[in-house]
Amino acid sequence: MSPEATILVTGVGGTWGARVAARLVREAGLHVIGLDSKPPAEAIEGLDFVMADVRNPLLGELLRTEQVDTVCHLAFVETIRPSEAAFDLNVTGTTNVLDACAGAGVRKTVLKSSTAVYGARPSNDAFLTEGHALRGSKRSGTIRDLMEIEAFCRSFSQRTPQPAVTILRFASIVGTTVDTPMARFLKMRHAPSLLGFDPRMQIIHEEDVVEALVHAVLNDIHGAINVAAEDVIPLNKMRGLAGKPSLAIPHLLAYWSRKLPASARHWGNDALPIEPDYLRYPWVADLHRMREELGFVPNYKAEDTLREFAERHHAAPLELGPIGMTRDEEHLRDLIEQRRQAKRQRAEDGGENE
Amino acid sequence: MSSEEIWEEAATAKGSQGGDRSAVSGDRLHRELLAELDNLRQRLRALAPEYEPPRFSRQRLLSMVEEGLQRCPVDLQADLRDRVRDAIDEQWFDPDTWKGVWYMVNYTLKYNADLIQRRSTGDYDTDDWGVDWEFLDVVRPFFTFLYKVYWRVKATGIENIPIQGRTLLVANHSGQLPWDGMMIATAVMTDHSAQRLVRTLYSEWVPRVPFFSSWMVRVGQALATEDNGVRLLEQDELVAVFPEGHKGIGKTYRDRYRLAPFSQGDFVEMALETRAPIIPVSVVGAEETYISLANSSAGAKIIRAPYFPISPTFPWLGLLGLVPLPTKWYIDFGEPIAMDRYEPDAAKNLILVSQISDQVRNAVQEMVHGRLARRASVFF
Repeated sequence: MSPEATILVTGVGGTWGARVAARLVREAGLHVIGLDSKPPAEAIEGLDFVMADVRNPLLGELLRTEQVDTVCHLAFVETIRPSEAAFDLNVTGTTNVLDACAGAGVRKTVLKSSTAVYGARPSNDAFLTEGHALRGSKRSGTIRDLMEIEAFCRSFSQRTPQPAVTILRFASIVGTTVDTPMARFLKMRHAPSLLGFDPRMQIIHEEDVVEALVHAVLNDIHGAINVAAEDVIPLNKMRGLAGKPSLAIPHLLAYWSRKLPASARHWGNDALPIEPDYLRYPWVADLHRMREELGFVPNYKAEDTLREFAERHHAAPLELGPIGMTRDEEHLRDLIEQRRQAKRQRAEDGGENE
Repeated sequence: MSSEEIWEEAATAKGSQGGDRSAVSGDRLHRELLAELDNLRQRLRALAPEYEPPRFSRQRLLSMVEEGLQRCPVDLQADLRDRVRDAIDEQWFDPDTWKGVWYMVNYTLKYNADLIQRRSTGDYDTDDWGVDWEFLDVVRPFFTFLYKVYWRVKATGIENIPIQGRTLLVANHSGQLPWDGMMIATAVMTDHSAQRLVRTLYSEWVPRVPFFSSWMVRVGQALATEDNGVRLLEQDELVAVFPEGHKGIGKTYRDRYRLAPFSQGDFVEMALETRAPIIPVSVVGAEETYISLANSSAGAKIIRAPYFPISPTFPWLGLLGLVPLPTKWYIDFGEPIAMDRYEPDAAKNLILVSQISDQVRNAVQEMVHGRLARRASVFF
């Protein structure tokens, strides 16, 4: 990639967008345009910030004017339950970005997805390759949206040769400063496993996520690639490394708690931030493409990531972010839930520190 | 009366008793002997009224035995000593032995407690397939017991399995519960010179079953998919498959020795793709561990299992009905069938694949029949 190439990063108001944009500006010294409907929480020096929504029809115009070479599309809202507003931003936003890229002659786009799109099934291979069918859970908002995006990307790539689409499918992201389902699960006091089930799991350190995205922007590689820490760890070992006590609940209880009426449902989600299937069946991705074609080696091993997480997550509780503009009830409920959890977390940690 | 007379007296008493020994019962003989002994003691007392025997104690008894022994000839002493030593190890009387036992028991308990504690903090090794060697060591004695004592498995032809390198074992499946797979693995782990870990490919039902699913993964087994099989063979592992699948393991008692049709030939494709030799394996004896009279589709639906056997004990006795019968098992490993003489893309040739599949099936069926002809009894 030529040093004068311009890169557009969407979603710089969020964690991943801000961190990737900062890395690209500081280390690669590229011209980086950041796009989001809200500015980054901390100003990034050298970032050319444009306040706009990814669904804006003038996006193609912007890309053509700036002669953007690569778009790193990271505007994505994570939701627990399927939400219409989030779906609109995530899926409609992505189709708009890709269509705009195709119209403006952008060379390549990089997207962030998850290995959860393969779905946790008893019939899964021990190592799922990128070509495996996407049979993820449709009950989780994030996974449903990602599957829609992946399906769109597949048909988009078949239709249009330009831009090349790179999708990085990350394993469960663990880190002290990010709010992901796995981090939320491991921050639970007990983080129970399902009685008699101990699936092999994969995780990845938050730093490695940023690292891999930057690597994919700077190196040309097409199609979907699984990205995860190189060691596969059974769930119970994972819980042990994260300092959780031996506690398991019957799997039927975990499933039933999901079927509770809406008024009591938050309890079910509260109990397990990860779908029971994903704690019961294996969904380990094959990392051959990551090593051989992407040429990326994660810096952190899963064991070290978990040990570090166990040491630090009590010391640094999550900061309460501002409640943004939310248009639908489901999304607001998610936010309230997250804030409630974060508060409880802080109360627990405070109690322990005293 | 001299002591000689006493001896004489005793001898005649013994003689008179011995004369009609056949007529008297053991109990009566015992009582008469005791009375005779009492009689002798009283006569001895009358002879030497001033003699009082020392009070009984174990130490005195031992020293008396010792004195008595020293009067014997040397070779008799040695013989007696050897006999006693054979019966009871003299180290049992050494306090150091008991100190050692105490130390061992303590250490074992502490080791196990440490093991559990260490494992609860996630400090143990597993590989990418989830194989947990520590867990394997814990469960191995149970399977060795089943192998050596319970089913007294006789394994032949185990030297056909190479010391290293990819190999595919293809076996007949029977016996309702997958004990046959476990015994093949135990046979290789116990009797093979390289003690290789057999990676059995299991059915899609297993991952749904609590405990069983996680144990199977920990002891190195994997789901039966072509991708898993090829991956394991490419890692030069020893893989075992049961191409009969549920049709085989769930077969009723009537059909116990007849092999069910093999699955689509996925196993042949795995072998051809990785050029791994196929070793046919026959297991005889597993068929009789449970006597399945019929299969209940309603029962299978209720517990969401692929089959539900009705036997004289199951489900009537509940889990107790799952205790297998202690039959005598034979596991025969056949001659390897080489796959490297076929073209590299032979896996795509469906006719060839089904031919090889039939060849392997016939080999296994012949081995089963051959063993049945030579077997004397189900239980011995």
